[in-house]
Amino acid sequence: MSDILLSTQDVERSYHMGGELVHAVRGVSLDVARGDYAAIVGPSGCGKSTLLNLIGGIDRPDAGSVTIDGERIDRMADRDATRFRLLHIGFVFQRFYLMPALTALENVELPMAEAKVPSAERQRRARDLLAYVGLAGRRDHRPSQLSGGEQQRVAIARALANEPRILLADEPTGELDAKTGREMIDLLAQVNRDGTTILVVTHDEHLALAARRVVHMRDGVIVDDRRQDAT
Amino acid sequence: MLLRLVWATLSRHRSRTLLAILGVAVSAAMLLDMVMLSSGMRVSFRDLFVATGFQIRIAPKGTLPFDTDATIPDAAAVVARLRAMDGIAVVSPVLGGQLHVERDGRSVSSTALGVDPAVQGDYELEEGREPRAPNEIVGNEDFLTAVGARVGDTLSGAAGFDPQLRAVSGQRLLTVVGRGRFLYLASGQRAVALPIATLQAMRGAAANDRVSLMMLRTAPSANVDSLLTRIEAAVPTVTAISIETAMRQVDERLSYFRQLAFILGAVSLAVGFLLVTTLVTVSVNERLGEIIVMRAIGVARGRIVQQIVLEGIVIMVVGALAGLGLGLVTARYLNSILASFPGLPAAIDFFLFQPRDAWMALGLLTVAGILAGIYPSWRGASLPIAVTLREEAIG
Amino acid sequence: MGLMLVAALLLQAIDTTPPARPPRTVAIDERLATDAKVRVGDRIVLAPTPGGPGDTVVVAALIQRRADPSEVARAEYRVRMHLDELQRLTGYGDRVDRFAVATPSPSATDSAIRTINTAAFGFRAYRSHDIAVETSRTFLVVSRFHRAIGVITIVASAIFLLCIMLLKVDERRRDVAALRLMGISASSIVKSVMVESAVVAVIGSAVGVAIGGLSSRLINWHYRGVYRTPLSFALITPSIVTLAVSLSLVLGLVAGFLAAQRLVRQPPLELLTGRRA
Repeated sequence: MSDILLSTQDVERSYHMGGELVHAVRGVSLDVARGDYAAIVGPSGCGKSTLLNLIGGIDRPDAGSVTIDGERIDRMADRDATRFRLLHIGFVFQRFYLMPALTALENVELPMAEAKVPSAERQRRARDLLAYVGLAGRRDHRPSQLSGGEQQRVAIARALANEPRILLADEPTGELDAKTGREMIDLLAQVNRDGTTILVVTHDEHLALAARRVVHMRDGVIVDDRRQDAT
Repeated sequence: MLLRLVWATLSRHRSRTLLAILGVAVSAAMLLDMVMLSSGMRVSFRDLFVATGFQIRIAPKGTLPFDTDATIPDAAAVVARLRAMDGIAVVSPVLGGQLHVERDGRSVSSTALGVDPAVQGDYELEEGREPRAPNEIVGNEDFLTAVGARVGDTLSGAAGFDPQLRAVSGQRLLTVVGRGRFLYLASGQRAVALPIATLQAMRGAAANDRVSLMMLRTAPSANVDSLLTRIEAAVPTVTAISIETAMRQVDERLSYFRQLAFILGAVSLAVGFLLVTTLVTVSVNERLGEIIVMRAIGVARGRIVQQIVLEGIVIMVVGALAGLGLGLVTARYLNSILASFPGLPAAIDFFLFQPRDAWMALGLLTVAGILAGIYPSWRGASLPIAVTLREEAIG
Repeated sequence: MGLMLVAALLLQAIDTTPPARPPRTVAIDERLATDAKVRVGDRIVLAPTPGGPGDTVVVAALIQRRADPSEVARAEYRVRMHLDELQRLTGYGDRVDRFAVATPSPSATDSAIRTINTAAFGFRAYRSHDIAVETSRTFLVVSRFHRAIGVITIVASAIFLLCIMLLKVDERRRDVAALRLMGISASSIVKSVMVESAVVAVIGSAVGVAIGGLSSRLINWHYRGVYRTPLSFALITPSIVTLAVSLSLVLGLVAGFLAAQRLVRQPPLELLTGRRA
């Protein structure tokens, strides 16, 4: 198995905004090794979220390629890309985006249900995941009954439900206070130590510091890429 | 999980869901009523025609039974000729007329039917017995109440009233031997039945050897259509009407109600459809973020569409079940209005409930529910994920 | 007598034999003329019994059916002829079924009725209006039925309207919350929603009236053809339009009011976040 889990080659993405054509990502090439923990940082509008969307298969590049574990995400039909995301990619969003009508447990179960995991097994796994993120006692609460930090934990548990190859997080601490944000940073670090490859997009310098590699973007291109750990 | 999501979504906005169900219930009630109306009259009339087992009715040429005062002359000869025909098992002659009975200084008028009690098909005996002697009669409850008589009483009745002389004619003493339920008469209509020869005699020369109608029971193997032709060829002064012909006449006269039923039914369905479409559209617009995130985390578009369409179906089906009860109540009310048509047989129902009608209404509503949910859900689930996430974040 | 006529007088044939004396003239209704393919000037034989002897007459005119509701759905034909000829043909003798009496004024009608009923021997005088009421019981039933359908439709429409207003107003929950947070009063918001629903109701009812007008034309055209009558089956009158517009306006205002009230009762923050305070 290749050491490189994720590879983008010269990806480009532009879109129209307010009548103008914005080149959000311009020829970005990026490799992420299996088990790595990388943070993409940069000012607002630099294209980091767009790059994350391209990597996650929820957007399609205008040019270039995106490969995860040898599979070309950018070439997949919508149905195949959806399936791939379900089984191999975990998403965490700034705004949590939990299903407000479901409990915490049910939110974590949701991707497993879609993957046709039997009911008993998915409930067991969901309970384990909630315990893992420190919410064992909150599993029957609805999102409206949880704090922001708790909601984000549930979101992380949900993202880990189908044991993804890579976890993509877009500003995971963006809506959290400093203290809760630090808890989230610790949790993500733990997730990475336990073997999950993580790619996070963030403004939060604390979160960036926690990563082992920091990639700087500006105006749609990578301007700096350095490791922060011993390797 | 799918059902859980559907239930959770619907119960999240309880009052909205309940109101939508109520709206669908009203629509379903109306639809059920119209389905009942479109088939009820026909079934009801047919049941009435076949009730006593007579397949053919003979009326004076160019008329329908009891549509006019016309009568068939040489009745005895006609009856004999019909009885001799192949394929005819029973011939039941009927003469229509009036019976006037004095009570408390005023005249009580009733419909009089001269029948052959052995083969009559106009009433069902509820008390007493059939007339055996010439001056014996069977009356319905309305008649007996109006004249204050019971089975066993004797009263004086007259068949004719001469306005010029203000005098009755054809008067004789008649004994009530039975009480019957007259099948073809309107609700509240007073009626008596007596031997046809008695009524002919009471009516005098005008009714001598004449009948208003003959009802025929055919042999099991008889071809009704060819019988009709043979009868009209053998007896040119009459028109022979089969149940099918009568039903065609009924269809023609009641075509207005069938068309009304179709139009109102279609409108009800359309309104129910509109309601569910609006509900689903608003629901999808509100939950765009959730829907897109579900797509982002890997839930297939088809599954999302399935969930949303199922929400629409649940509202439709629950509403339809509630509407079933409501529909039966309104049908009863509407039927009571139409049942007061002058001259309409009491046995006729315009709104006749058949389980098939309920299934049809439910089926139509379910299909409408599916169609109502498909477009808005497909549209919502097909939005570009990244763009929509960005817009939802900004919003 | 009229019924006897319809039953007994049958159009025998178009007779081509020249009669002994000049034949008398009759008028037949246009339905009969169309179905029997008879034209003005044709000779026909009228008889009291089918196949029996009768009189040869000439069709002098065709009668157009009146817009008489009691004739709808009756497939009978009408022949108009001289009274003495009909009396002779049917053996009715010197008898009639009724007299129709015209009077110069309503008060003259009252005194005529009184005079006739006092002096009459064996018959009574009635106002034509009273007879019409008695014979139109069928249509009273149909009217009641239509009214019941109308009431049910109005109730159903009210529920639909309320439901849809609730949905549409609910959709703008966040906008309402933002307005409330800015300091706009609840009553201003309710008023604005009511104005909006009133405008929608008025526009909707204008469209509805136009559709109703078109539909009534379609209905009349269709049923006039089916029943072969000049009768109007659907009539849109100013009072009906006024009722429909007023009713939809009232329903729209009430629905808007209830929907808006429901929303402004919730605290703005709850509207915004969806969380109960």
